[in-house]
Amino acid sequence: MSLLSVEEVSVRFGGVMALQDVDLTADPGRVTGLIGPNGAGKTTLFNVITGLQDPTGGKVRVEGKDVSGLKAHQRARLGMARTFQRLEVFGSLTARENVLVAAEIHRRWAKDGSNPKEVTEQVLERVGITDAATERVDAMPTGLARLVELARALAAQPRLLLLDEPGSGLDTQETEAFGDLLVDLAHEGLAILLVEHDVELVMRVCEVIHVLDFGRKIAEGPPSQIKADPRVQAAYLGTDEEAAPDEEVVRQ
Amino acid sequence: MTEFLAFTITGIVTGAVYAVAASGLVVTYTTSGIFNFAHGAMGMLMAFLYWQLRVHLHWPAPLALIAVLFVLAPLFGAVIERILMRNVRGSDTGVALMVTLGLLLFLIGLALTWWKQTEPRALPEFFAGHSVRIFSVNVTWHELISIAMAGVVAVVLRLLLFRTRTGIAMRAVVDDRDLTALNGGRPSRVSAMSWALGTMLAALAGILLAPKLGMSVFNLTFLVITAYAAAIVGQLKSLPLTFAGALALGLGEAYAVGYLPTSGFLSHVKPSLPMIFLFAVLLFLPQVRLRIGRVVGGRSVRVPSWREVGVAGVALVVASWIIAASLGSADLASMGQGLAFGIIMLSLVLLAGYGGQTSLCQMTFVGIGAVVAAKISHGGSPIGVIAAAGAAGAVGAVISLPALRLTGLYLALSTLAFAVLADNLFFLQVFGGGGGLAFHRFSIVGISFNGDVAYTVLLAVVFMLMAAFVLAIRRGPFGRLLSAMKDSPAACATLGLDLTRTKVAVFALSAAMAGVGGAFFGGLRGSVSSNDFIYVQSLVVLLLVTIGGIMTVLGAFLGGLFLGPGFYVLGKIVHLDALTFLGAGLGAMTIARSPNGVVGQISGVVDRFRRRPAQPEQGITGVEVIEEVERVVAPVG
Ligand SMILES: Nc1ncnc2c1ncn2[C@@H]1O[C@H](COP(=O)(O)OP(=O)(O)OP(=O)(O)O)[C@@H](O)[C@H]1O
Ligand SMILES: [Mg+2]
Repeated sequence: MSLLSVEEVSVRFGGVMALQDVDLTADPGRVTGLIGPNGAGKTTLFNVITGLQDPTGGKVRVEGKDVSGLKAHQRARLGMARTFQRLEVFGSLTARENVLVAAEIHRRWAKDGSNPKEVTEQVLERVGITDAATERVDAMPTGLARLVELARALAAQPRLLLLDEPGSGLDTQETEAFGDLLVDLAHEGLAILLVEHDVELVMRVCEVIHVLDFGRKIAEGPPSQIKADPRVQAAYLGTDEEAAPDEEVVRQ
Repeated sequence: MTEFLAFTITGIVTGAVYAVAASGLVVTYTTSGIFNFAHGAMGMLMAFLYWQLRVHLHWPAPLALIAVLFVLAPLFGAVIERILMRNVRGSDTGVALMVTLGLLLFLIGLALTWWKQTEPRALPEFFAGHSVRIFSVNVTWHELISIAMAGVVAVVLRLLLFRTRTGIAMRAVVDDRDLTALNGGRPSRVSAMSWALGTMLAALAGILLAPKLGMSVFNLTFLVITAYAAAIVGQLKSLPLTFAGALALGLGEAYAVGYLPTSGFLSHVKPSLPMIFLFAVLLFLPQVRLRIGRVVGGRSVRVPSWREVGVAGVALVVASWIIAASLGSADLASMGQGLAFGIIMLSLVLLAGYGGQTSLCQMTFVGIGAVVAAKISHGGSPIGVIAAAGAAGAVGAVISLPALRLTGLYLALSTLAFAVLADNLFFLQVFGGGGGLAFHRFSIVGISFNGDVAYTVLLAVVFMLMAAFVLAIRRGPFGRLLSAMKDSPAACATLGLDLTRTKVAVFALSAAMAGVGGAFFGGLRGSVSSNDFIYVQSLVVLLLVTIGGIMTVLGAFLGGLFLGPGFYVLGKIVHLDALTFLGAGLGAMTIARSPNGVVGQISGVVDRFRRRPAQPEQGITGVEVIEEVERVVAPVG
C-alpha cells in the first residue's frame, strides 16, 4: 500500500477540466516526479492532495485511508507538508521565524516533546540557509525564499513532502546541491512528490515520473522511459507551449 | 385571517424596501469589490436632503424626487467613488472597511450637525391619506408604491445588467477587472457608475422608509444592517436571492410585530430580527476555501525592546501623576477617559493589528465587562475585573465562531450585527433605558484608588501592564503564529494549524481584554448606561485606534489620546455636537494613504531623518514579476 495514492481525481473550473481521472502514488524512500507543460494541472493536483481544493471527483488516500473529507490541517497532521509555486512565505517574519513557527505548530499538535528551537536550527542547517536566517523573507530573492519554504515544510517533520517548482530561481550550483538534498531526504525515508520544470533535475533525482498534459496523465515510468516517450515529447513541443505562459500571466 | 393578511401585506411592503436597499449594496459590492458599510448612511443622508427640499423648502414631490434620486444621489455616489474608493482598491479589505466605516461615521456626524435631532421632523407619505382595500385590508398608496418600486428596480437591474453594454461591462468587471481593462473596457468608469446606482437605490429605500421609520439619523443608517442581512442570503452576489432574503425578512418582521407579545423580553425581538436572521444565515453559509497565490506585503512595525517599554512605562505613569495632580476635575476626566479608551484599544491592537481580524463590537465587550464587574462588588475588586474578562471572553468566543469560518468581511458584518443585537436585547434590559449602573472605584489589598488623581494614575499603570501583556504576546510563539497566519493562512493550514481555533482564541482573548477595560471604564465613570456601549461607539474606538496606528501599542495610546483629551480640547475650539463622529470619520477616510496611521507616519519621518532607507516593502512582488518574465522566455522543459 502506498503512502499516498490519488485515485481518478478530476477537477473542473467552469469549462476547464484542470484534472481528469488522474491516478498517482508516492512512496517512502523515493522522489516521484510530476511534470507537464504550463497549465497541465500539477499545482491543482497538489491543492487537491493537501486539501486546499475539493475535487469534482475521485479520492485521495493516505496509507489506504480515504482523506477526502478531511480539512487541510487535518491532512497535514497525517504527515503531509508542501511548498507553493506562488510563494506562501510568512513575509513579515525572518527565515528563522518562518521555520520556527512551523516547528511550533508541529509541536502543538504532535505533542511529541520536540524542541522547536533545536528543530529550527537543524533544518536551517540542513537546507543550507543558516546564513540568511535573520533576513526578512519578503526581501529575499525568490530562490532563497523557496528554500525557506522547503525548510518550513521540513520543520513540520512530514512523511510526505510535496514540492511545487522548488528549483526555479536557483542557479546551476544551487540546483545541484538541492538535488542532492532531495535524494538524501528520500533515502532517509521521506516520500517526495516533485513538480519541476527543470527537466535535468527531475531526470536526475526521480525514480518514477508522471506526466500530465491538459489535465490527463499521459505517461508514467522511470526517467529513461519518459525521455523516450513520443507522447511526452509531443506534449512539450506541441502548439500549446506558446499559449500556456500567456494564460499563466492572465490568471494572476 | 384578515389580521394575517394585513401582516402579510405589511411584510411585503417592508420586504420590498429592504430589497431596494439590499440590491444597491449588492450592485456596488460586486462591481467595485468594496463592501459599502456607509450604504445606509448614504440613504439616510439622501432621505434628509429629500426632507429638506420637500418639507422645508416646500418643493413639489416629483421635483424633489427627481432632484434627489437622479441628481444628488448619483452625483454623491460617483464623487465618493472618485475621491475615496479609488485609493482603496487594490489595498487589503481592512483598508476598505475602515474607509467605508469612516464615511459612515462622518455622514452620521454631518446629519446630526445639520439636522439637529432635537427638532421634530416628519416626512409625509406619498399620496398621504389615499388607500385602497384589498381583501378587506387597507393598503396605502405609499405602500403600493413601495412594492411597485421594488418591482421596477428588479426589472431595471435585470435589463441593465444583461441587456446594456454598461451592464455587461459591470458584470465583466466583477469577473476580472484586469482583463476588462486589457480588452479596452474602463473599469474605473464602470465602478463610478455602480456607486452612483448604488446610492440611488439607497436613497430610494431611505425615502420610502423614512415616513414609517421617522427621520432618525441612527435608525435610517441602520437600514444597512437590515439590507445586508438580506444580501447575505445571496452571499452578496445574487440579486434574486437578495430579493428573496429581503422578502423573508420583511415578512418575518411583520409577523413578529403581529404575533409576539408587546412586552417582556420577546418584544425586543422585532428590532433585532435582521441580526438574528443574519446569524442564522451565517451558520448555513459554506466554509470559504483558503485562497492561495496572493502576495502579502508584510507591513510590520518594529517591536520595542523591553528596556524601551520599561522606560516608556515609568515615564507614562510619572507623567500622568504630575499632569493629573495639576489638572482641574473636568480636564482630569478627559485624561482618564483617554487612558481607559487606550486600554480598550489595546485589545484591538491584539485582534486587528497582530491577528488581522476585525471586531465592530468591541464596546459591546466593554459593556459586558462593565455590567459583570458592576454586578460583582460594583466593579471595585480584582475578582470583578477577572469576572469581567471571563464573561466578555466567553461571549467573544461564542459569537465569533460562526463568522470565523468565513472571510473577514463576514466577521465585520456579524460583529456589527452583534453590537446592535446587544444594544436591543441586552443593554436596554440591564439598564432599562436611560438607567445606569453604579460603580465603586478599584481597591486591592486594602489600597483604594478613590481619588481622581489616584485613579488616573491607576489607569496609567493598567494601560502599561496591558501594553506589556500585548507586547509579550507579540514576542512569543502566539504572536509569531498570528503574524504567520496573517501572511498566509493557507500555509499555516498545510502545516497542521487549525485556523478557526486559533482565530477564536485571539478573538476571545481580545474580547476579554476589552472586558477588563470595561471594569476600569466603569470605575472611572462611577456609573455607566447603555449609551456608552451603543454600536457607533465601537466604530469610533476602532477608527481612532486605526488612525493612531493599530499595529502598535503606541497607536492605542495615541488613539486614546485623541478620543479623550483630543476631542475634549478640540470641543473647546470648535463647537459641534457630533465632533467625535466627524473627526473620527474624516480621519479614517484618509487611512488608505497611510495604513499604519499616525505611528506609521511618525516612524516614516524618523526613518527619513536618520537617512535610513525605508524597508523594502513587498520584496516578493518585484521578484515574482521578474520570475514570471523568465517563465515566459525560458524553454519549457
Ligand atoms: N482557481 C482556479 N480557477 C479557475 N481555473 C484555474 C484555477 N486554478 C487553475 N486553473 C486552471 O486550471 C488549469 C491547471 O492549472 P495549474 O495551475 O494546476 O497548472 P500547472 O500544471 O501547475 O501549471 P504551471 O506549470 O504553469 O504551474 C489551468 O488551465 C488553469 O488556468
Ligand atoms: Mg503550477
